[in-house]
Amino acid sequence: MAQMHRHRLRYEKTGRAIYISHLDTMALFQRAFLRAGLSIWQTEGFNRHAYVSIALPLSVGFSSVCEVMEFDLESEVPLEEVPERLNAVLPEGVRVLECYEARDPFKLLRMLDWQITLEYDNGVPDGVEEAFRKMLDVPGLVIQKPSKKSKKGFTELDLIPMIFDWHIEPAEERTLRLNCRLAAQNPSLNPQLLLETFSERCPSMAPDFIRYRRKEIYLENGEKFR
Amino acid sequence: MDPRLERILLRVQKPARYTGGEYHAVIKDKNEVNTRFAFCFPDTYEIGMSNLGMRILYGIMNEMEGVWCERCFAPWGDMEAEMRQANIPLWALESGDPIRDFDFIGFSLGYEMAYTNVLNMLDLAGVPLHTWERGEDDPIVVAGGTCAYNGEPLADFVDIFSLGEGENVTSEMLELYQNCRQEGWNRADYLRKAAQIPGLYVPSLYQVTYNEDGTVAAITPEEGVPPVVTKRIVQDLDQSYFPIKTIIPSTEIVHDRVMLEVFRGCIRGCRFCQAGYCYRPVRPKSPDKLLEQGIESCKLSGYQEMTLSSLSTSDYRPLEQLCDGLLGYCEPRNINLSVPSLRADNFSMALEQRLQRARKSSFTFAPEAGTQRLRDTINKNVTEADLMNACKTVFEGGGNAVKLYFMLGLPTETDEDVLGIADLAQKVYLNWKQNASYRARGVRITVSTSFFVPKPFTPFQWEPQITMEEYQRRVDLLRNAVKSNKSIIYDWHDPDTSYVEAILARGDRRLGSAIEEVWRRGGRLDAWSEYFDFDRWIDSIRSVGLDPEFYVRRERPYEELLPWSMISVGVRPSYLWRERNQAYKSVVTPDCRKQCMGCGADRLLCDRKCDEILPISARARTEGEG
Ligand code: SF4
Repeated sequence: MAQMHRHRLRYEKTGRAIYISHLDTMALFQRAFLRAGLSIWQTEGFNRHAYVSIALPLSVGFSSVCEVMEFDLESEVPLEEVPERLNAVLPEGVRVLECYEARDPFKLLRMLDWQITLEYDNGVPDGVEEAFRKMLDVPGLVIQKPSKKSKKGFTELDLIPMIFDWHIEPAEERTLRLNCRLAAQNPSLNPQLLLETFSERCPSMAPDFIRYRRKEIYLENGEKFR
Repeated sequence: MDPRLERILLRVQKPARYTGGEYHAVIKDKNEVNTRFAFCFPDTYEIGMSNLGMRILYGIMNEMEGVWCERCFAPWGDMEAEMRQANIPLWALESGDPIRDFDFIGFSLGYEMAYTNVLNMLDLAGVPLHTWERGEDDPIVVAGGTCAYNGEPLADFVDIFSLGEGENVTSEMLELYQNCRQEGWNRADYLRKAAQIPGLYVPSLYQVTYNEDGTVAAITPEEGVPPVVTKRIVQDLDQSYFPIKTIIPSTEIVHDRVMLEVFRGCIRGCRFCQAGYCYRPVRPKSPDKLLEQGIESCKLSGYQEMTLSSLSTSDYRPLEQLCDGLLGYCEPRNINLSVPSLRADNFSMALEQRLQRARKSSFTFAPEAGTQRLRDTINKNVTEADLMNACKTVFEGGGNAVKLYFMLGLPTETDEDVLGIADLAQKVYLNWKQNASYRARGVRITVSTSFFVPKPFTPFQWEPQITMEEYQRRVDLLRNAVKSNKSIIYDWHDPDTSYVEAILARGDRRLGSAIEEVWRRGGRLDAWSEYFDFDRWIDSIRSVGLDPEFYVRRERPYEELLPWSMISVGVRPSYLWRERNQAYKSVVTPDCRKQCMGCGADRLLCDRKCDEILPISARARTEGEG
């Protein structure tokens, strides 16, 4: 639906809630609004239901502290009250941070800040940052991505124009943290693809486990998306 | 969360089934808990969470002081492999703690094909499989649900069976346990005491001996242990616990909606139906109470779908009044109310139309048998005229799909009865031609047959099951008879599962070693066709020296001591036998409302008749009943 809805929630999805799928997350909020006694606009037609739309689908297993959802609040309540009322009826790990009037259309959402935690069971190997720099300090990094649509069975993708910023810092024991700003839509770069590419190129530095967390969303000009 | 689990969760399908943390899941402070109960459902999360009984008992236990009831489901194959690989024992969803450290592990047994899951879950938990191997530190393993009425095949693995409705007996069982710990009794003491609580059956306290022909010779309780254990029921459903505040899963489950139980039991007395006899007597809830609970449940859940669920919901007398009340709340909020309609004799299009905002085009009826003679035999008191009237209403109202459910292999069934199904389907087709308001769309008549499984505590508990070859022959006969009409679609169930069900349903405790063997050979999740392996079952049963045909094919004489003779569901065996004889004469028995035939189940009620809604004023007297 291209039309913009009036209200937005910014919320977190962390802890046990990271395993809830995109579709289930929408169903969860539809019910939560009703439980909170907040009436929102419902779809027309046969199977009417409360309407919510999430700006960017979040993969199962990824956490986020910057999810955005939109809807039309029909109840006459001050928006500041909405987070508290919803939080009282949401499952563990889903927390509403803010409810506000929509400002930027979804299609203007351009960049995402990721916090990626690389876990090395046997200790962090030397030279990971170096290796990243070597991989990314190039004019172009074209990789093949499996695709059903293309005849060849894959499409080619240049990662470099979709990486706006990155740096690596040591974190807890046996972990490194990669903070990066990546393209969020049209096109978008899934950070998993970036890390897979890294692990393929530098197998000795491939992490044993990787956690992905969305930190913040931005417009083209670097201002926060709201 | 176990860090190993975090990694595993990203590799398995549907990880949200394993994480807990749902809205209204109960988290307690371990320091204030002295009794921990793991409610295990021996199937997947999506199936188990759809079970109303589990939600009721979860709520009741968690309202008890010092008790924490948590949930646990059978892992799918991918998760099981990961757990075994990483050596992660089965855990409870709420706390994430291993259930082997709990005081109780309770299974809900809804169908026989879940038996291997019970063993598998005990093994995954790290709990000794057999009752006699368990020590003072091991959990007490209890089981309830429909299959517990003849739980004998699981007697080796289950310490206590809870018979009938668990609302009251569960708390009694847990209170006894709490006392028992204060008094310093051991496990054996506790089990002996528990056997004194009405409705609790402790199989290890009964010795079963066999005749040379394999039939049961004697069932001998240990001294002081009751010779017959009678199931428990709730006297007054209006006053008993209903889970208005219940867990709302964060991932889609099978019945993802508010479920309202309008009554327990059934007035009908279909002779093949185990639930119909085991859940007697019928006890309705008052429409006022249902309305209140329905509305509250919607508010607290946020569901936009509600369904009335009972054995034969359309027999609920104040159904229209209740639906009117509920619709008054639901309609303005776009909450969809549905009422399953399987009976053709009291089908009401007016009601259907009120219920369906989106006009429904498909309707389901279950005549169960193709001829009036056979329908009389099974006491399915639905006539062809009833069905034709219902279909006429459906077709005139714009419906263009009818599903018809039948069973093949019912006692006394002949080819004429099988062909009668084809006939009936053809008549439904002609009915459509005559009455359809709009014929251009065509019509779809789906005929579906299942393979009859004789069940304990029914009038057919003495009957043999027909052979699988014979079932297949009847399927082919019917298939040929309907194939010329392209509007009739025929669906039949494979007989394999029903054959194994027939073994287990009327099995004795010797089958325990067979089930164990099936499990050792890899059997689990047998209710799922991708896991079920017929040959594994048959080979395993034979390998422990038992003959599947003994359980399936044998007609039992009335004098035979049936393996479940120590259990009573309230209905007298002599009544069942009388019903069996009436079946052979194709004589119908009126439903409980027309005339009480004295089955005996009314003896379970303290202060009222079957099917009675007591006025509120009379209730004061019964408060505090057990
Ligand atoms: S006692 Fe009579 S009314 Fe009650 S369940 Fe039995 S037959 Fe029906």
